[in-house]
Amino acid sequence: MSTTTRTPTPSDTVASPRGPERPAGRRRSLLRSNWLGGLAGWVWMLVVMVPVYWIVISSFKTQSNFFASNPMLPPDEWSLDSYRLVIESDFVRYFANSVVVTAGAIVPAVLMSFMASYAIVRGGDNRFLRLSNSVFLMGLAIPLQAVIIPVYLIIIRMRMYDTLGGMILPSIAFAIPLSVLVLSNFIRDVPRELFESMRLDGASEWTTMWRLAFPLTRPALVTVTIYNALITWNNFLLPLILTQDPEKRTLPLALWSFQGQYGVNVPAVLASVVLTTLPILVFYAIGRRQLLSGLTAGFGK
Amino acid sequence: MSAASGTASDAPSVTRRGGTRPGALWWLAVPALLFFTVFGVLPLLGVVGLSFARWNGIGAITPGGLSAWRAVLGDPGLAHSIWVTFEIMAVSWLVQTPASILLGTFLAGPQRYRAFLAVLYVVPLLLSSAAIAVTWKALLDPNFGLGAGLGWDLLSQNWLGEGALAVGVVIFIVSWQFVPFHALIYQGGVRQIPRSLYEAAEIDGAGRVRQFFSITLPQLKYTVITSSTLMVVGSLTFFDLIFVLTAGGPGDATRVLAVEMYQTGFLGNQMGPASAIAVIIVFSGLVIAQVLRRLGGRDPSASELEGM
Amino acid sequence: MDPQTQTRPSASRRSVLAFVAGLPITAATLSACGSSGPGSAESSGGGGTGASFWTLSGKPQEDIRQQAADEFNEAHSDTPIEVTLFQNDAYKQKVKTALGAGQAPTILWGWGGGGLKSWVDAGQVEDLTSFFDENGDLKDKIFPAAFGAATVDDTVYALPCETVTPIVLYWNKAVFDQVGVQPPQSWSDILDLVPAFNDKGIAPFSLGGQSRWTNMMWLEFLFDRIGGPEVFQAVFDGEKDAWSNPDAIKALTEMQKLIEMNGFVKGFASITADSNADQALLYTGKAAMMLHGAWTYGGMKNDGGDFVSGGNLGYMNFPAVEGGKGDPSNSVGNPAQYLSISSKASDEEKKAAMTFLAESQFTESIQQAWIDSGNIPVAQGSDALIGDGEDADWLKFQYDIASNANSFVQSWDQALPPAQAEVLLDNIAKLFQMSIGPEEFATNLNAVIGT
Repeated sequence: MSTTTRTPTPSDTVASPRGPERPAGRRRSLLRSNWLGGLAGWVWMLVVMVPVYWIVISSFKTQSNFFASNPMLPPDEWSLDSYRLVIESDFVRYFANSVVVTAGAIVPAVLMSFMASYAIVRGGDNRFLRLSNSVFLMGLAIPLQAVIIPVYLIIIRMRMYDTLGGMILPSIAFAIPLSVLVLSNFIRDVPRELFESMRLDGASEWTTMWRLAFPLTRPALVTVTIYNALITWNNFLLPLILTQDPEKRTLPLALWSFQGQYGVNVPAVLASVVLTTLPILVFYAIGRRQLLSGLTAGFGK
Repeated sequence: MSAASGTASDAPSVTRRGGTRPGALWWLAVPALLFFTVFGVLPLLGVVGLSFARWNGIGAITPGGLSAWRAVLGDPGLAHSIWVTFEIMAVSWLVQTPASILLGTFLAGPQRYRAFLAVLYVVPLLLSSAAIAVTWKALLDPNFGLGAGLGWDLLSQNWLGEGALAVGVVIFIVSWQFVPFHALIYQGGVRQIPRSLYEAAEIDGAGRVRQFFSITLPQLKYTVITSSTLMVVGSLTFFDLIFVLTAGGPGDATRVLAVEMYQTGFLGNQMGPASAIAVIIVFSGLVIAQVLRRLGGRDPSASELEGM
Repeated sequence: MDPQTQTRPSASRRSVLAFVAGLPITAATLSACGSSGPGSAESSGGGGTGASFWTLSGKPQEDIRQQAADEFNEAHSDTPIEVTLFQNDAYKQKVKTALGAGQAPTILWGWGGGGLKSWVDAGQVEDLTSFFDENGDLKDKIFPAAFGAATVDDTVYALPCETVTPIVLYWNKAVFDQVGVQPPQSWSDILDLVPAFNDKGIAPFSLGGQSRWTNMMWLEFLFDRIGGPEVFQAVFDGEKDAWSNPDAIKALTEMQKLIEMNGFVKGFASITADSNADQALLYTGKAAMMLHGAWTYGGMKNDGGDFVSGGNLGYMNFPAVEGGKGDPSNSVGNPAQYLSISSKASDEEKKAAMTFLAESQFTESIQQAWIDSGNIPVAQGSDALIGDGEDADWLKFQYDIASNANSFVQSWDQALPPAQAEVLLDNIAKLFQMSIGPEEFATNLNAVIGT
């Protein structure tokens, strides 16, 4: 991680407290003529947006004129029927449950993973840490569906069946391997001199971890948080197996209620996709910046 | 850093050479390891045990010796699944990696519109497999899909009905969903590259393309390894999308290991062989992850030694 | 219930494996938690000992299921039935996990056939012989053909209930008029119609081939019409090389003949049945005919504009094949849905469940509710309740098929044990892709007979 800033600062180990400004300086010189990247960027936007556009317009069609109309044109009459149906299907409760489970799982998972990653990178040649690292690596390849029955039994024994907590605990566990891999590789990239200078300042490892490594790892922390949040948000298997009470169900289960015995109510599924996605997208757009500056705030001399 | 926290008692230990204190940090890994052991390792041990048992999933479990392994290893379907898995793994890596690096470099730029594009890119990641399946199956429908809507016959192929096309479709949709995530990783990586390196290169008169290949790419080495590990190992367990799109079909053209495991175990009621396949998946993932780590890092502290 | 529930792809389709190390946990869970497990009657509230009942969600069926439980609970407030609804793919996963972990509900809703057999083999469900001895009237009321899929080794393990759903041949009258042809009376008529429609740029048959079980319906009828129900019965009974029966090979050959002459809409292997795109081809006139379950009538009525109400939808039983041994009145499809009782439940729970099975499913109000939803209950004489609404002809047609069929073959993928069903669907897909021929198809399937 570069600690060089655009404006000269007294010490080489200091980064600007305003993160986004710093990359701005060097990017401008680097990428002004990155036309290939620009082309790719716009092409990709098209690739992403065509299906998204289709989802949005189709969600305003009725099931009966869904096949009668041109799939790529907006409906002649915009119908809110599907949205009404979705909202009436207890959407709000499912949404709230999803928020609780996702936040409850991801915050501890990312913090624990960060601590473990720091230990793995900075802990030197320690057998326990090497073992831990291997276990986490292995964890990347464990298919959740393969181990769901044992997980189910463990949750029942912990008397957490049919609770939101019962969904949170395994979600934490399955978010850890990927988080550790990403975070440890990022911490590994933190220049050694920075740790060195912290040490010379007399900082403890605990302090170094939170005040040096944590802010420096923030792009990775943001990425890992977002990714795991999405995985947890969309997880279908855990809520299905670990809950029974309709009041404990999460959004992915709700989505399925429009896939009837004899077919799918396509516009209703799409309307619930839009309703599920929109808040997250807004949260992401705002939260990404907040997350960045929040993490940066803890850093500075 | 106003690290007044370096208390008197801390001071002696931090002055030791190397900046690390072996043994003093191990406990930081304990919470994560504990969680993962209870909900990951313990169940996995059960699966290993079950691969030596006979079980239809709902009745009594009886010891089965090597019968499940024999059944799995003797089934020509396994070799086919392994082939399809690695085919999809390799091709989707080849497609996703350059695309992600390119987009990641692009997104690392400070321009506002790029931040806006980055938000749009994330949309596919937000969608659940069920939603993606409904969407793409509808768009790929030869009569009511994209081709019909745009009046462009090229897009009205038998996309999910022919083996080679279906494999291509799976790879495309996997990329559609996951390239943005990897682009985000690369964006983070690119932003970490010190500007001074580019300034030096500019003084030497290196062009953009050369800067990319001589600075950006080498500096992204660890990012490439992280991202590749996730892509490659992830594609072993990744099956929701393939399953909802093609159910492994047409025929067995897209039947990857995870789908094979699901069909053997959950649909076919043969939990022993399915567990054996699960063990094969985990083992392959572990081997691949280790190989990738060797390729790039040699040992965990290597990058520290490289310095900057 | 319908073949598609067996095979429709979904995000929920994940394997469930378990845990040898979990054995002691299973045992401990069973003994320690007793009735406090998720599937037991714990949730029956303060109403005394009732029974838990897991069934499928989805309108309008779930309302009728709930109505049956509500009516029962009113009369038996001391032993209430607690209903939990699951979406159908989710249900399979959930039931399987619960059975595997010893946490099943008292009453299990099911599709009968191979799935029921796997429960029976695992000792999970009760023998209902004595139940039917005590409830002879109930037994006489139900269509006899419905008991086939409830029977394992000559013992009945489930109560046939709810509705009978045949597969029928639909045709678009407007398209037939436009081309100037008559609906087929025989297999050779079908083959003759193919070029007539293709010449006009209309697909002869719609088919959602991506869903695989849709292709299977064709084979079910061809096997029956050419060789009679005995051909598949031999497969079901596990007779060696049953798929190599000359009539089976003939049926497979005829099937590929129809595919080769472009009998099905172009790109059918990319069309899914779960989005109803196959129905849309029929009601938009892009295809002339479609072989599909009776359940699609409701979808076409809702989505097809005036297609159904304007009298453009024709329907018939699958025609005879010249020289075939099968009775053309035979049908295939879903003979009924099924309720079973968990053998792991307590005696009180079982007792409450038996009462529920005996009293709740065939009351006049429930039968009427099924008819009003456009379905035929599996009960003799339920045609008396049809009335003369706009769908009366359609309902009578269904009732006649169900009551006249000498043989009503259950959808193959439901009838066969799950492992065989998977291989079957796979090979059907390959047969329709023309990547294997009849002989290879038979060889591949003979290899798994009896597994």
